[in-house]
Amino acid sequence: MTTVLATRAPWFVAGPLIGLLIVLLLWITNKPLGALGGYIEFDEWVTRVRSTLGWRAVFVVGVMVGGTLSAAVGAGWHPTLAYGSFDAVFGSSLWLKVTVLFSAGVLIGGGGRLAGGCTSGHGLCGTSLGSPASFVCTATFMATAIACTFAIAWVFGA
Amino acid sequence: MGIKLTGFASGVAFGLILGWARLTDYDAIRDMLLLRQPDVFLLMMSAMLTAAVGVRLLRAFKVRSVLDATPIAWSTQTSHRRHIVGSILFGIGWSLAGTCPGPLAAQLGRGQFVSLFTTGGVLTGIFIHDRIRVRRQAVVTRPIGEAALVAGL
Repeated sequence: MTTVLATRAPWFVAGPLIGLLIVLLLWITNKPLGALGGYIEFDEWVTRVRSTLGWRAVFVVGVMVGGTLSAAVGAGWHPTLAYGSFDAVFGSSLWLKVTVLFSAGVLIGGGGRLAGGCTSGHGLCGTSLGSPASFVCTATFMATAIACTFAIAWVFGA
Repeated sequence: MGIKLTGFASGVAFGLILGWARLTDYDAIRDMLLLRQPDVFLLMMSAMLTAAVGVRLLRAFKVRSVLDATPIAWSTQTSHRRHIVGSILFGIGWSLAGTCPGPLAAQLGRGQFVSLFTTGGVLTGIFIHDRIRVRRQAVVTRPIGEAALVAGL
């Protein structure tokens, strides 16, 4: 078990498992899977739009716990401020990281909220349910992200 | 209670798979977006196809939900301008941060603490969006009465 989880799951294992999870969640709760909703619930709770956190916020807490487990049973839980080749692309200054990642987060949160879903909500779940808006959103954020990443690689030369 | 427990359990499973597949790594997402590695695209497509078949089987066999025995059903949306505008902003953010809301929560759990900055941004972005929308609604509904205006501010 531990040795299996220590190496990266191949796409043909992880992909169908996530697909089954979408089916299972719909079967049990009749609700579509999506991560952004949990962050929205948290915001609405803080701003008193809602009095209690709903199941989507609990889902996101679960994802955090799952992340911890994936590290613990894999290579071990090692807290870090490093972020792969991000440092090589943008530089390793902490202030730069704060600025770029926070701004990116604002775009992810605001844009995802406006579009009504994220990579999991629209990209995986909405498309599998055959929602036309989800196909439009997925094609749009995929194309934008690819173009943007190529532009960054070209500008920063990394 | 049931739905929260289910939400938590499915969240744990989702986070575990995301971490196991290394979708929490900046480089895995960057290599995908630079079209260097097809893995993440294949992962997403296989997830979507598996789910597409599964949910249709549930509907075809008229299965009812476990928690409240309602017939399995879902609504779909037609696309509007906000979907495109929102997804363009989302795509730029995804590219810069190398992560999106699902893997982001898993990053936090894995101890990749730069994700705290991204998370702060996501919560701020949602807050800004909702503020703008409330303001707009307040302007639209102003003639109706004071209450809408007060709620808007």
